[in-house]
Amino acid sequence: MAKKIYQTNSEIQTFNLGKKLASQLCGGEILALSGPLGAGKTVLVKGLAAGLGVKEIITSPTFVVMKVYPVRHTAAKDVSPAQKKIKRLVHIDCYRVNEPQAILDIGAAEYFRQPDTVTVIEWAEYLKPILPRKKINLTIKFKNFNQRQITVK
Amino acid sequence: MIILGLESSCDETAAAVLKTDGRSFTLLANIVSSQIAIHKKYGGVVPEVAARNHIKNIIPVIDECLAAAKIKPQKIDRLAVTVGPGLITSLMVGAETAKNLAYAWHKPICGINHMRAHLYANWLENPKLKFPAVCLIVSGGHTELILLKNQKSLKKIGQTVDDAAGEAFDKVAQLLNLGYPGGPVVSKWALNGNPKAFNFARPMLHSKDYNFSFSGLKTSVLYTVKKLPSLKANSAKLKADICASFQQAVVDVLVHKTIKAALDFNAQTVMLSGGVAANQLLRDTCKLKAESSRLNFNMPQIKNCTDNGAMIAAAGYFAQPIPWQKLRVDPNLSI
Repeated sequence: MAKKIYQTNSEIQTFNLGKKLASQLCGGEILALSGPLGAGKTVLVKGLAAGLGVKEIITSPTFVVMKVYPVRHTAAKDVSPAQKKIKRLVHIDCYRVNEPQAILDIGAAEYFRQPDTVTVIEWAEYLKPILPRKKINLTIKFKNFNQRQITVK
Repeated sequence: MIILGLESSCDETAAAVLKTDGRSFTLLANIVSSQIAIHKKYGGVVPEVAARNHIKNIIPVIDECLAAAKIKPQKIDRLAVTVGPGLITSLMVGAETAKNLAYAWHKPICGINHMRAHLYANWLENPKLKFPAVCLIVSGGHTELILLKNQKSLKKIGQTVDDAAGEAFDKVAQLLNLGYPGGPVVSKWALNGNPKAFNFARPMLHSKDYNFSFSGLKTSVLYTVKKLPSLKANSAKLKADICASFQQAVVDVLVHKTIKAALDFNAQTVMLSGGVAANQLLRDTCKLKAESSRLNFNMPQIKNCTDNGAMIAAAGYFAQPIPWQKLRVDPNLSI
C-alpha cells in the first residue's frame, strides 16, 4: 500500500476507515497496528472485520492474546474477487506480551502470510524483531480529543 | 460422586476435590497457587512464564489437594479440567496433566468451559436456585449475561462488544500508574475517593440489547487524565476520585443491564460470578438492586469468584464425560 495519511474526527469515522482499508486487502497481509491506549486500535480492527465480512462481535483480545475469526462472504456485491480468497481474520494483541517469543509460543506465526488469512496485530511495536519485513504499518496518533491521525504505509 | 477439578487457564494453578450428590456440594479441599506476584513486575500475565510455572506447580498442587482432602486416587469418580477459553500454553498444562491422570487412574474425564465453571461456582453455596435465572459473568477477559432455563440449559443473551470489565480495570490502573492486577488496586484507591467527582460516560446503559461496552469508558478516563496538568494528575486525592468514579460507572452499567435482563426474561433469580464479582461495590449493589426488584440473589464467596479448581469440579458434575483421547483445548471457546 502506498503511504497515506488519514484524519478521522470520530469513532465512527475510524470504523469506516477500517472498512475502507479492508476493501484493498487480498489475503496474506500482516497489518501492524500501533498507537497508545484509547487511540482506537480495536475500533479500526472492528471496521476491518466488518469490511472483510466477519459476523462475530470483535472484542479486545488483550486477555487471551489471540483470536481467530472466520470470514463469511454473504454480501457478494461488496466483495472484490481478490477479497473472496480471504477465509479468516487473526486478531493479535501484544499489550500483555513484552516478549516476542511468547507470541511465537502460542502459534501465531503459523498464520503470518497465509494467503487466506489477514493478520492484524495491536501493539505491534513489541513484536518488531519477529515480524516479516513486508507488512502494512498502521499508526494511530491523537490529534485532539476525538480526532485521530492514521498513517498507512 | 467425588470430582477432582483442575484449572490452569491463566495465572492460577488450582485443584479441588468436591463431593456432591447434585443437591449438596461439599469441598473436601481447594488449593490455589497464584502467580500474581511473578507477573506483577510485567504489568500482566506473560504466557510463556505462566506456562512454565504451571508445569512446575501442577503436580505439587494436586498432591497437596489430595492430601488435604484425605482422598486416594481410587476414590475419585471423575476428573474435570478447564479446556478453554484462556491462554493456549497455560491450558495445555492442565489438560495434558488431566489426560495422563485419567489414563493412569482409569477415570472418566470432562473438558470444562471456564466461563460456565464461573457460573457453576454459584452452586458451591448450596443455594436453592429458582429458575429461570440470569447470571452476570464478569472477568478479565469476558463480560457476559447468561439466561438459565434450568441448571443445564445456558444461553448467552448479551456480552461486551469491546473490552471486558476486568480489562477496563487493568487499563485504568495502568493509565494512573497504580500497578497490576487492576481490579483490586482500583477498588482499594476508590475507597478514599468520591464516586461523583467525575461523571464518566456509562456506555450502552440505555441500549435495547443486553450488551456492554467498556472501551469508551476507558478512553473517557484517559481524556480526563490528559486534561489535567501533570502535577495535579499525580495527586492521591484525584487518583482516588478517578478510581471511585470509574468503578461506579462500571458497576452502574453492569447492575442496570443485569436487572433489566432478569425482569425482561421473567427470571426468578439473579446470579453473579467471575473474577470481577470479587469487587465489593459490585457485590453490594447487585444484591441490593436484585432484592429491591423482588428477585432472589446468589453469588459465590469471594475466594470462589477468582479462578479456582472448586468451580471446575462443580461444572464437572453437570458435564458429560468423554474419552481422554478426545479431550482438546480451545483458547477461543465460548459459552
